[in-house]
Amino acid sequence: MRRSFHTPAILFTTILYLLQTADAWALQSHGEPEGLYVHQMAHVLFMGALAYLYWHTRRTTSLTSKGWRYLRLFCFLLFFWNLMAFTGHEFSVRLSPDDLIDIGTWREQLAPPIGLFKIIYFIVKMDHFLNVPALLALFISLRTFYLEAKAEIRQ
Amino acid sequence: MTGLALSPTILVDFAGSGLVIFLSFMALRYAYFLVKLQPVNFLWGFLFYFCLAMTAFSISRGVGHILRIILVMGGQETIWQQLSPWSGGFNTLLMISVASATIYYHTGLAAYKAIRAEAEKLAEANRKLAETAEELQKVNTYLEDMVAERTRELSKSEKKFRHFFENSKDMVYFCDIGGKITDINQSGLKMLGFDKAPGQFNLLSFFKNDNDLDQYLLALSEHGSVSDFEMELEGNDGSARHILLSANAIFDKNGFMTGCEGIAKDMTRLRNMTDQLIKQEKMASVGQVAAGVAHEINTPLGVILGYSQLMMDDFDKTSEAYGNLQVIERQTKVCRKIVADLLKFSRQSGSAKIEIDLNEIIEDVLAVTEHYLNIDHIQVRRCFDPALPRLIGDAEKLRQVFINLFNNAHQAMTNGGEIIVTTSHDQTSGEVAVAVRDTGTGIADDIKAKIFDPFFTTKEVGKGTGLGLSVTYGIIRDHGGSISVESPVQDAATGQKTPGTAFHVRLPVAAEKKAINEEQ
Repeated sequence: MRRSFHTPAILFTTILYLLQTADAWALQSHGEPEGLYVHQMAHVLFMGALAYLYWHTRRTTSLTSKGWRYLRLFCFLLFFWNLMAFTGHEFSVRLSPDDLIDIGTWREQLAPPIGLFKIIYFIVKMDHFLNVPALLALFISLRTFYLEAKAEIRQ
Repeated sequence: MTGLALSPTILVDFAGSGLVIFLSFMALRYAYFLVKLQPVNFLWGFLFYFCLAMTAFSISRGVGHILRIILVMGGQETIWQQLSPWSGGFNTLLMISVASATIYYHTGLAAYKAIRAEAEKLAEANRKLAETAEELQKVNTYLEDMVAERTRELSKSEKKFRHFFENSKDMVYFCDIGGKITDINQSGLKMLGFDKAPGQFNLLSFFKNDNDLDQYLLALSEHGSVSDFEMELEGNDGSARHILLSANAIFDKNGFMTGCEGIAKDMTRLRNMTDQLIKQEKMASVGQVAAGVAHEINTPLGVILGYSQLMMDDFDKTSEAYGNLQVIERQTKVCRKIVADLLKFSRQSGSAKIEIDLNEIIEDVLAVTEHYLNIDHIQVRRCFDPALPRLIGDAEKLRQVFINLFNNAHQAMTNGGEIIVTTSHDQTSGEVAVAVRDTGTGIADDIKAKIFDPFFTTKEVGKGTGLGLSVTYGIIRDHGGSISVESPVQDAATGQKTPGTAFHVRLPVAAEKKAINEEQ
């Protein structure tokens, strides 16, 4: 009973202190590169998660279905897609406006001279060559799981 | 120097974004189906949320890329500049969501595996239970078959033993501890004098001798069985039967006797035959002795008779010595008659067998004896079979048989009575039967077995030689027949016993040729 009497008083005092604070020292400003950093970190996190999923499903002996093999293929492809995307993001911020011609049009080009940097940039721009097969592997994996589960139930 | 066109990358980006959205939706669709199919499966749940996040990410990224291409290429770059941070933000957020869902997979999978292991254990237990149930079912089916087979065998066995029980010529019985019959076969009922089973009856009440009963009960209670126990039963109809009894006591699970089961064999016929054989042997022995004695005595008797007759010529007929010699002569003749009777009994005397009519023989005897019988108020009733077959026999000796039997009846009826003479032909045995029945005092049981013995008599000394029935026995036996005595007499019609004696003589008809051959 005594504890329930004191709890509202403590909460009230805390709110009063917060309202009377003059400077918000705890708040941090977020400049322009932060969004990219967070996005790149998300890619790294995503890669870590995919690597973990790949590793765990491979070492788990009970997950022997064909569907898991497709899922691991998905993890593998999407991991490298993440790597491509990560590289693409890194390269795109390093490009200067002089490196591009006819920006924002169908005739957009990488301005000469075309070195390794620009070739890699050109390649990683086509990350869907990994993303689409990865999603296809995920689709096949789920479809395999479903058909197997259905067959098991029927059996 | 020309640059490197980025249009292929734009096209790939545009088409790839659309394909990624489409494929992510397809994957999500199957994930949804899986969850619907097996809602409790964690893995499908994880994959559903993973696909959901992937779809959201694909939509966010794909739509963003498509919009960017459309807006930028359409000269609306300003709008894209405004949307771009949102698109990028969403992409980042959804990538983190997909990664989070994957991390969540680790903990969930462990829990799922634990649950799955338990479920598998349960499934294994269920499978074992099902197997056990199936096995039980098989055992049950096998048991049913086995029970059916055993029932058939039992039925067969029961039928066999029931057949044995019902058709046994011996008495088979079951009784309780008090001797009350609980089950008995038809032979047993017949042996005890019943035509059909009465309501309740006690086996012990049929024991003729108390001593036998005591021995039977003692043996059952002390040894649990009796084996080959010879005893006499008196049937419901009053007939006595010699029985060879074997019985076992029946005990309950506590070892207390609850009853008994037994088999009894009727030995009456065998016993009678044995008695008869013993008697015949005895008679034969006595006959041989008598014949020897008779031969030895016959010669000195002849000498005594000859000399006494010679001496009688030397004395005056009125003298005392002549009178004494007459007594010697008379008594010597009596002795010779006795010797002659002994020889007849032992078949040592001559025999002349011819074809005879037994009715005529009896009538001849009655013609002589009936007068004397009538004087003593004895009436003779003749029940002759007119179709009596003729026999081969010694007429003289057979006449003597009936003289002896009538004399015997006469002496048994000092106060008058009736003699019933019956002749008949027993076609089954091929014998002629003659019964001489009187209404006299009868013969006591203790001397019944001795009446055919030579020199056995109930008369006072000097009034009879005791050879009459012995001679009769010898003559009948000489004719291949048999003679038996019945006293008291059981009435054939009523079954009641009346005082008196009946001699049953049976002479074979079929033996005629044999007899003639023997004579020749």
